[in-house]
Amino acid sequence: MKSPRNLQRLGALALSLALGWWLWQGVTISPFQGITGPAARYIHGTARDTGAANVVAAILFDYRGFDTLGEASVIYTTVCGVALLFAKRRYRRSSHGLSFIVKRSMALLVPFILLYASSIIVMGHLSPGGGFQGGSVMATVTILFCVIYGSSFEAARVSPKVKETIESSGALLFVLIGLVGLVTGGAFLTNIAAGFPRGTMGQLFSGGTIPLLNIAVGMKVGAGLSTLFYSMVKILEDPTESSPPEV
Amino acid sequence: MSITFFAFLAAFLIVTALTASEARDMLSAVIALSVFGILMAIIFVILQAPDVALTQAIINSGLVTSLFLVAYSQTRKRGDDPDRENDR
Amino acid sequence: MLPISYGTAIIVFCIGLYTILSKRNLFKTVIGLSLMEGGVLMLITSSGYVPGGVPALLPFAGGEPVNPLPHSFTLTAIVIGAADVALALAFIIKIHRRYGTVDIDKIRGLRG
Repeated sequence: MKSPRNLQRLGALALSLALGWWLWQGVTISPFQGITGPAARYIHGTARDTGAANVVAAILFDYRGFDTLGEASVIYTTVCGVALLFAKRRYRRSSHGLSFIVKRSMALLVPFILLYASSIIVMGHLSPGGGFQGGSVMATVTILFCVIYGSSFEAARVSPKVKETIESSGALLFVLIGLVGLVTGGAFLTNIAAGFPRGTMGQLFSGGTIPLLNIAVGMKVGAGLSTLFYSMVKILEDPTESSPPEV
Repeated sequence: MSITFFAFLAAFLIVTALTASEARDMLSAVIALSVFGILMAIIFVILQAPDVALTQAIINSGLVTSLFLVAYSQTRKRGDDPDRENDR
Repeated sequence: MLPISYGTAIIVFCIGLYTILSKRNLFKTVIGLSLMEGGVLMLITSSGYVPGGVPALLPFAGGEPVNPLPHSFTLTAIVIGAADVALALAFIIKIHRRYGTVDIDKIRGLRG
């Protein structure tokens, strides 16, 4: 029992070391020669093509918007998979949450966390942030709810169906904004050329479709990750506890 | 950013990765993974990638850790102890 | 700074690979997957770093910007990685309900 186990470990160690050495050889022979290719075009053309101040957001939602749609649909597929795996179980109360002081403090903190998340989403084309980050903060707020108030609190107020609707409408908003480009005779997800206002760089209303797509992706990621977490929490129920949680 | 500080962060990152890999206790491994995510976020800030750092800090410290804890508490409830059958 | 970053990314990747290959607990496999993902993300982000660069936010105050293209790749990859981890953990819970263990050798023995 003991010797083949150690042999397996030794083999894994040898394989990892060999792969690491090989990767290191590959890394050290590639010299750095400036920013060339598409990245240079993105850096120099962002102000002219999109009007957004954040180059990363411009790449995500303008130059490579179709890729972002595909990546958002990956999240949708994962949520569907997890929800399907745990389809038959129902929400029940799992715990009563933490003490009164923690609950009141959380109630005071939640508006500010939500404000932070909204500002990350809305200012995504001006500063670091965007739909992915803000949506993750929103999902983290629902996880905090689950930890502090018990798992049935949030599920009773925002039902899973509402979250699914929010996620689907986020995807639909994304596709509809993309279709505007097709209607005006351009390509899918055309931004400035389809007639969206470029605005002044640095203002809130600038960047054409980028703020709208940020909001769509924020809805999608926030609702999707929250649904992932609650699909897994659903099975944490303990039928022996009977009294309802006090809020 | 001084290169000594970056080297210290890199060494600490490797230590947390080894802890997450080798810890017998699964809870320690999960918490080490969370610390790993935070250190990755700091390194992303030093590498001038604030967008990536924001995402990494939120997701890998908050969301992934809570998912791991949910799954761990679920599998531990069934009598046997996954800590015991980790390394043998 | 760049060699340190590349080296750390490769070491973290190899630690993750070793974890996946040598551990039998399924949780450790998912942790190894997360470590490998972290190594790859760090490698990609380091490849976009320009010495003395500033973040890619217009207007570039105080120098040349770093390469924003790897940042946009890693940003979506992190979110998708979290979703992947969630799916893997869901499968682990299902396996535990079916077989009553998370040890991969025992599961193999039960099936055969």
